[in-house]
Amino acid sequence: MKIFRKYTDNQMNAMGSGLHLKSVFFNLVLLWLGLLVSACSDFLEVDPPRNTLISETVFRDPATVESALANLYYSMREEQGLVSGITGLTPAMGIYGDGLDYYGFSADYLQMYNHNLMAENDVVLAWWRQAYNVIYSANAIIEGVEKSSDLTTVEINSAKGQALFVRAYFHSLLVLLYGDVPFIADTDYLENNKVSRMPEAEVYSRIIADLEEAIILLEGFEPSSNERVVPDLHAAMALLSRMYLYVENWEMADEMATELIAVFPLDTDLDQVFLKDSPETIWQLKPEEGRNTYEATQLIIPSVPGQTYALTDDLLDSFEVGDLRLDQWVGSVSDADETITLHYANKYRADANETTSVEYSILFRCSEQYLIRAEARVHLENNVGARTDLNSIRNRAGLQDIVANTQSELLEAILQERRVELFTEQGHRWFDLKRTGRVNEVMGAKKDNWRSTDVLLPIPETELDTNPNLLPQNPGY
Amino acid sequence: MKKLYCYPGRLPMALLFNLLLSFFVSGQLLALSPPQNVVSGLVTDTHGLPMAGVDIVVESKNIGTITDMDGSFSIQAGPTDVLLFSMVGFKTLSVPVSGRGEMIVQIEEDVTALGEVVVNAGYYKVSEKERTGSIATIKASVIDKQPVANPLAAMQGHMSGVNIVQSTGVPGGGFTVEVRGRNFLSGVSDPLFIVDGVPFGSQSLGALRVSNEILGANVSPLNAINPSDIESIEVLKDADATAIYGSRGANGVVLITTKKGKEGKTKFDAHVSTALGKVSHFLELMNTQQYLEVRREGVINDGYGSFLDNPALDYIWPDIKSWDNSRYTDWQDELIGGTAYRNNAQLSISGGSQNTHFLISGAYQKETTVFPGDSNYKRGTLRSQLDHSSENGKFKVNLSMGYSNEKNKMPGSDFTSKAYSLEPNAPALYDDDGNINWENNTWDNPIASLEENYVARSNTMIANAVVSYSILKDLVFRSSMGFTDYRLDSYRTMPSSARNPSLGYTSQSYSNLITNGSQRQSWIVEPQIQWKKGLGAFSLDMLMGATFQWETSDQEVIRGLGFPSNELIQNLAAARTLEIITDLDSEYRYNAVFGRINLKVLDRYILNLTGRRDGSSRFGPGKQFGNFGALGVAWIFSEENIFGEHSILSYGKLRASYGTTGSDNIGDYQYLDTYSVSGNDYDGVTALEPTGIFNPQFGWEENKKLETALELGFFNDRLLLNTAWYRNRSSNQLVGIPLAATTGFTELTGNFDALVENSGLEVDLRTINIQSSTVSWSTTFNLTIPKNRLVAFDGLESSTFVNQYIVGEPLTIVKLYHAMGVDSETGLYQFEDYNGDGAISSTEDRQWIEDLAPKFYGGLGNTLRLGNFTLDAFFQFKKQRAFNTTRFRATPGFKENGPVALLDRWQNPGDMVSVQRAFSGLAPTGGLDGFQKESNAAVSDASFIRLRNIYLNYNVPSLKDGLDVNVYVQGQNLWTITGYNGPDPEQPSGLRLPPLRQISLGLQVSF
Repeated sequence: MKIFRKYTDNQMNAMGSGLHLKSVFFNLVLLWLGLLVSACSDFLEVDPPRNTLISETVFRDPATVESALANLYYSMREEQGLVSGITGLTPAMGIYGDGLDYYGFSADYLQMYNHNLMAENDVVLAWWRQAYNVIYSANAIIEGVEKSSDLTTVEINSAKGQALFVRAYFHSLLVLLYGDVPFIADTDYLENNKVSRMPEAEVYSRIIADLEEAIILLEGFEPSSNERVVPDLHAAMALLSRMYLYVENWEMADEMATELIAVFPLDTDLDQVFLKDSPETIWQLKPEEGRNTYEATQLIIPSVPGQTYALTDDLLDSFEVGDLRLDQWVGSVSDADETITLHYANKYRADANETTSVEYSILFRCSEQYLIRAEARVHLENNVGARTDLNSIRNRAGLQDIVANTQSELLEAILQERRVELFTEQGHRWFDLKRTGRVNEVMGAKKDNWRSTDVLLPIPETELDTNPNLLPQNPGY
Repeated sequence: MKKLYCYPGRLPMALLFNLLLSFFVSGQLLALSPPQNVVSGLVTDTHGLPMAGVDIVVESKNIGTITDMDGSFSIQAGPTDVLLFSMVGFKTLSVPVSGRGEMIVQIEEDVTALGEVVVNAGYYKVSEKERTGSIATIKASVIDKQPVANPLAAMQGHMSGVNIVQSTGVPGGGFTVEVRGRNFLSGVSDPLFIVDGVPFGSQSLGALRVSNEILGANVSPLNAINPSDIESIEVLKDADATAIYGSRGANGVVLITTKKGKEGKTKFDAHVSTALGKVSHFLELMNTQQYLEVRREGVINDGYGSFLDNPALDYIWPDIKSWDNSRYTDWQDELIGGTAYRNNAQLSISGGSQNTHFLISGAYQKETTVFPGDSNYKRGTLRSQLDHSSENGKFKVNLSMGYSNEKNKMPGSDFTSKAYSLEPNAPALYDDDGNINWENNTWDNPIASLEENYVARSNTMIANAVVSYSILKDLVFRSSMGFTDYRLDSYRTMPSSARNPSLGYTSQSYSNLITNGSQRQSWIVEPQIQWKKGLGAFSLDMLMGATFQWETSDQEVIRGLGFPSNELIQNLAAARTLEIITDLDSEYRYNAVFGRINLKVLDRYILNLTGRRDGSSRFGPGKQFGNFGALGVAWIFSEENIFGEHSILSYGKLRASYGTTGSDNIGDYQYLDTYSVSGNDYDGVTALEPTGIFNPQFGWEENKKLETALELGFFNDRLLLNTAWYRNRSSNQLVGIPLAATTGFTELTGNFDALVENSGLEVDLRTINIQSSTVSWSTTFNLTIPKNRLVAFDGLESSTFVNQYIVGEPLTIVKLYHAMGVDSETGLYQFEDYNGDGAISSTEDRQWIEDLAPKFYGGLGNTLRLGNFTLDAFFQFKKQRAFNTTRFRATPGFKENGPVALLDRWQNPGDMVSVQRAFSGLAPTGGLDGFQKESNAAVSDASFIRLRNIYLNYNVPSLKDGLDVNVYVQGQNLWTITGYNGPDPEQPSGLRLPPLRQISLGLQVSF
């Protein structure tokens, strides 16, 4: 009992002092909690990760603005894009049109080749997505530099000019492929998420307006490299001249092409037209150091079997006898027992990596401008001038002057010349057939499954799902 | 407490608390023990029946005996000695002799009293009887019976409301875990994992380009925890249990507690086991003759029949023309038909004195695969646990540390899909010289994948210290400090020798190495104060604390391209070019105050209030803080007087809880408008890529949880039945809202005004059917009937989810085409034209709805002990529908093998069959094959009952005192009843290796 009492005494004492201590203690706890809560916000501050910059910061420094622009060109060059890269227009529109046969097994490409294209096609989706992603980036640069107070006017103008050009370029490809498309001129994702399609004609006039502004802004802009790998004033003019041709503004097409022809002489040697320092190149994409072009690695057939794409007999037959381009821009390879011979585009020849790249992906070259001007001149009833331009191209290829005389003969000759000059280059042939209204007649005879609605690609199914305002789907899908 | 008798003299009297008082008194008396007498008597059970074989020892002396067949005994003992009566399955009883010469002793069955079972609730512990929240537990006794490598695997099927699916049978892979269904549209359902008090990131740091093809990039960090080191795993489910975890508790909390040392002599525990594993089920695929028949038919149907005779085109169809048409290989047997071995060895040493306990455990495991080659997974783990309390018991410290090192060496890709699709007459893998056979470059030899190595090394360290000090008798200050470090270094090699030589690749031009070095580190400090007070009928338990947590992670993925030779491929320095694919780092900070007030009245009315105020750096300014809280109540009605001592209802409790929890499981920095360095450049200028749209508006996801439960115990708690009903409603959904590409992005993270409800019924039953000295049989059963529903979604029709979800339907639905069989005239698949536009094409025709979530699931376990044998059988069951083989093969005739069922194809007009006409992929009708794969025909019943675990243990009769030897044989996934048309109903995929069937043999020795 004694022990017990001792214990309880102790306990009572403990409780007594405990009451006092307790109130002190709880006051301390409250104070502590108060401090914690006020300290919270500071504790929660984190630095952005080292690989990330807040947008505002990007547009304070011309060097980071240049990096943002570099991303545009990088995106154009690399895989999954519609400009160059593995999924670029060159092979895909070649097999969709009449330039290339397809020997691969990709279901998406087979759909294109066989003209049973579905709205779920992944190529169609990848192009759409990449185009608008690059357009967003361009718009972000336009808005970023406009708001920036740390850049000089010259810096703002050159960045904005390039971004406007890129925006125009991607819209031009979209409108050619998909018909009516949304024209996106800002970064407001709430609006752009429910945007509707804009009629083709309006898209073209917006593109032209962008390019006209870009030309003003890029006046005097000198890219740091002289390799013509960054779009400048001339790239903008080249696209503008092409756009004028598409909207049949012959005077302006003639004027733009004339200005360019004065600056970029044709390379007299066909073997050198696709080298990186060819004088006729207006704008080209520079590959990663040591690599060459995707055009070369994709189109050149190393051996038979082993082919993915081969030039169609139809295209080969369309070359006139004596056309040097057939010798110099077309390669051939046979299988072991020489029973099969296939032909491929040999414009770009470097299909392996080297210490220094020798070929870049050319997007605009001056011979197109000759052909644009020739066509414009026919419509402006300057047949003599048209023949001169056409002959410049023909003579270089070892062909005689053109004999065509009437307007329709000349137009026919120009279409033919464009085919053999610009084959396997960014889908030129397909777009030519489309804009000249010849596509049904020509393709109908060549592709079993051809339907007149194939003239436009489908709007990607998932995009229609995501934004029903894009409905209706293009006819036929 | 028993041990106190051993050293009574050493304990200063003043330090003993009242609890120990009575022992102290008898201890004093013991010192004066008088001469020995014979004590005899009878031992009976509670019904008065004599008990044979009961162990009797005189406490603290080396004297013992056992009762005879009639329950009688006699033993030498002094009048002041204490006799201990013990027997397996019964409570140990200590009876003071008190000078008696004879005694009758009744021993009670040991149905562990609920009041004594303590459940870990994270910040506090609570007895099973008095808990107000919903907490599921598995103990070491269940975990140890399963030879699994990952703690999540041990939990499968054992816990109601917890749905765990193993994503691959390849060692080192991951699991998906859902506690009470999918709460969020974002699909992130990972619960919060806490190992010994330290939050442990369960998200994989795997890099897609390194491990996607072998493990789906899901490398589970939880593999680092050796299941046999685990004492218990608790899953906190309802608001009452999880609200104290605030913004991280929405998806439930998994608490993993490791084993601790116990007072007593030093104990050595050695455990070795070997397991053999095989793929449990092969698909029935076409043989060569069948395959070539449909293949030719397909080519002819496509209109290319005449081309078959043109030798120049042989390269298009080597299987028909170039390869031996009589050759047959069972590719499943060849590629995934091997035996996987798992060897495991573990040694642990534990023990301690009254104030200090320790445990050290080391284990090594090596596991091979069913694939060809010598791939293997190795893991070494080391764990130590030390706790100490001061002499006066006021100061306590606990230190736990775990380290693990894993090395996983696997082929670059999983062979499973190849095993299902390779042409049955495909050439031999190796030529006569043992080189990879490319058969004149006509195929991509899958075995070349062995040339590509996936190697992952991970090091994981989890350490935690808890110190506590009783400032006053009622008041304890405690702080835990934890640290985790997880490092994953992995690489994948792709040498040119793994590619068809016709491609002309060389080591210089093609060979490449991708490395992933990633690390996640975190620390956490959680100071807490606990105050307990009993005042008459009331008892109060209060807890208050704060959390400071910091986590960083970084990842660097580098690709080296072009090596002088393939021998040097593991050396990045030898690469011609290096490309940085990823260089990421992120920081996460988290800060909170939390508290709990628990009030108990008359030991039967219980009120539990918990709350937390959280701040997270994952949200933008003004949105960083959130408040969460819950109220839990319980009424132990069996304590009421109307239930007498002898009522068959021995225990009854009604409990209910309601509260809110949240989720910030969305990744870091999502609110910022950012540009990132992509690692690319153009013309020497580093590219900066826009990576985020400024969006400061998003906040916590919220989950309001409601639960009521009835817990009943009958026959002295020999039958325990818990039934819980829950309804969790999640709102303010944070999701990557799919954006139209015209915005420049494909998604944006934001809060969506949608309400997802998970409700369900959980039943847990535990019974002890037989309990006697030689035989015991107990049963556990759990059943979960979950229901998931999208309750409301404002503007769903105009949102980007319009084709994914339907209000009133579960989140787990898929929208499919409605397959209407094969047109007997055209031989093509037909589908319902929902929108009536005459074509099957758009999403409008995908209106057939299938729900892929389980309808119900659970487990049934029986443990039977017969003398020294223990037999344990655990069945897991699930009712569900899942994608079947049609999902990956719907039409015969492709240059890929398929199920033999595809032979039942259309051949002539008028044929009434289930499979469309053969198709080789060359003609445009192929689209219908794609529709069929996307139709309801690709979904079928995948319910199963699986003997997940069977375990037979023999406890070798003691050879020597203190030596305990157990030998066991164990089987995992031995037997499955299912009507499923596919590889494995548990993990219905045609791409990944299903979970294996395993048999293991083990020996456990402890002394």
